[in-house]
Amino acid sequence: MKFWLKTLLVVLVLFVVALDISVVMIMNKSWSLNTEREIQRASSEQALIANNIYENLTSIMSRGSSVDDEILHNVTYSYAKNYLQQGVTLQLWNQEQLLYPKDMNHLIKPDIPFEQIEEQGIHYIQFSHKLPPPYDHLLLVYTRDIEELYDNQRELNRFFVTINFTISPALMILLFLFIRQLTKPLRLLSKTTKHIAEGDYSERVLLYNKDEFGELSQNFNRMAEAIEQRMHELSEMAEEKQRIVDNLAHELRTPLTSMQGFAEYLRSANIGEEERGTATHYIWTETMRLKSLAFKLLDLSVVGRKPLELQRIPVEELFNSVQQTEMKNMRDSRIKLIVHRDIDYVYGDFDLLATFLVNCLENSIHASVEGGEIRLMAYELDEEAVLEVRDFGIGMTAQQVARAFEPFYRADSARSREHGGAGLGLSLCRQIAEAHDARLSLQSKQHSGTSVHLILQLHNNSSTTP
Amino acid sequence: MANILVVEDEKSINDLITMNLKLVGHHFCKSYNGTDVIQFLKQEKFDLILLDIMLPGMDGFELMQHIRAYNIPVIFLTAKESLSDRITGFELGAEDYIIKPFEILELLARINVVLRRAKPSDDLFVLGEAEVKLLERQVLKDDQPVELTAREFDLLEVLIRNRNIALSREKLLELVWGYDFLGETRTVDVHIRQLRKKLGWEERIVTIFKLGYRLNAEV
Repeated sequence: MKFWLKTLLVVLVLFVVALDISVVMIMNKSWSLNTEREIQRASSEQALIANNIYENLTSIMSRGSSVDDEILHNVTYSYAKNYLQQGVTLQLWNQEQLLYPKDMNHLIKPDIPFEQIEEQGIHYIQFSHKLPPPYDHLLLVYTRDIEELYDNQRELNRFFVTINFTISPALMILLFLFIRQLTKPLRLLSKTTKHIAEGDYSERVLLYNKDEFGELSQNFNRMAEAIEQRMHELSEMAEEKQRIVDNLAHELRTPLTSMQGFAEYLRSANIGEEERGTATHYIWTETMRLKSLAFKLLDLSVVGRKPLELQRIPVEELFNSVQQTEMKNMRDSRIKLIVHRDIDYVYGDFDLLATFLVNCLENSIHASVEGGEIRLMAYELDEEAVLEVRDFGIGMTAQQVARAFEPFYRADSARSREHGGAGLGLSLCRQIAEAHDARLSLQSKQHSGTSVHLILQLHNNSSTTP
Repeated sequence: MANILVVEDEKSINDLITMNLKLVGHHFCKSYNGTDVIQFLKQEKFDLILLDIMLPGMDGFELMQHIRAYNIPVIFLTAKESLSDRITGFELGAEDYIIKPFEILELLARINVVLRRAKPSDDLFVLGEAEVKLLERQVLKDDQPVELTAREFDLLEVLIRNRNIALSREKLLELVWGYDFLGETRTVDVHIRQLRKKLGWEERIVTIFKLGYRLNAEV
């Protein structure tokens, strides 16, 4: 059952029950008050009539007449006639003999002073009191018709039922409108949640109430925003993963295609020495390319996994090793390497840091023109140790920088492939930086050069800076 | 035979394709990026374009818009194997879609299919004293017609279209007799012997050890 319907029914039932109980109680009270009043009145009237009869009898006695049944009957009759209009009947009993009214033999002498009687559907109250002495052998029975009281009560009951039947539907309609209005924010929230559940994460609740609903919708919106953000990140990650897989497939397929093709060519084609040479050359270079790709991928997966033991590394030794590795490449491109060393030691893994620098240096060599200059630097900045490789080559655009660390991404695919690169160098650098808990930053401007900074934490080397 | 433009940024694969095209007698031009293609199209007339999709400069899908104006059949040659890419390729009007890594024989076969569909040419193949009219299915030796059975001619055509490339007996069975042929590879030997005898090509159709047969012709 819906909340609004539940509320409506509960409120309606409670209201009607409360109303009815109070009305019934009020009616009961008023009924008892009315009957009491009627009884009071009847009682005093009876007393008054009895007294009047007594006085009449006394005055008759004082005139010397005797009081016989005839006189008693007449006196009572005169009163009875008077009161008849008010629904009052009188009886006068002498001992067991009924004096007034005559010829009513079915009447029975009442034996209790007060009673309520119902006769042929009409209600009476009856008082029976003896006259004061010396006429205390006479019993005056006073009967009053109180049917009007009952009629009123019945009328009230009917009215009560009518009211119940008219008020309840009216109340229901009013409650319906009121509760629907109150639960409107709930429906709005529910609608929005449904949309979000269906995948429209940009949906928000437009509710500016200052009550609990407003608060709820604010919190809800905050949640929706967090979800949208998260979903966005997830889909971006999935896209990147897909790109990596696509790229890996491409990187594997290309050398495989040419190796397979040239091997087939060598085996089955009718060719001369020159073609044979070309084919074997390609098989050789493509094999080398696959080998380098395989090792780079291996490096990538290993760097992230094994825990790193940070060691104190002399920067001079590190730089020497890197220079030695890249000496031939630099000589071939007639690159001038400028080494600048402000700090003597850094903390890290020697092999990984060397790999990092070699990768950066190779990128720089490929980006530089012949005879260009590359700087290899180690210094302290803002209480942190920085390793920097800077070149003054072709640089990259902002978009290229944004994707530079993505596996297999190559800023210039043709050039990079000529050098045998698979586009994994900077990905590996990023992994190495992460393994060192170090920050990595890359700044590049087209046609003016690129610089890569590896910012190592200070507490590793604070005691060793000169 | 046909003039083919090969658009492929990987130098090794570009060379692999063109070296094989040269073997079977096609002319070719090499393009290593998308932008050069437009220049080539303006300068020369091509019968077919082999087009990579991931290219520096302008990708293969974009290039299709330019190529369409020249009404040249295109075969995509790519590592992108997703269904959506293939559909895009065909929707753009490609004749075929070949996924790397591919076999050279398959590539050549598909090239032949596309060429034949696009332009049924009166292919004439001359080798020594023999002259083969591929379209009319006629063979002349010393200007005298040579009687060949239908199978023998089919085998001859496969050898000519893949000349200078060795074909295994299994491959020949598949290409000449069809996939569902249940015969033995000896059938191939018998037909080859017939061809050699009828055309006097004992020296031209050579047996390659552990492989099969190859029709040697001038490259």
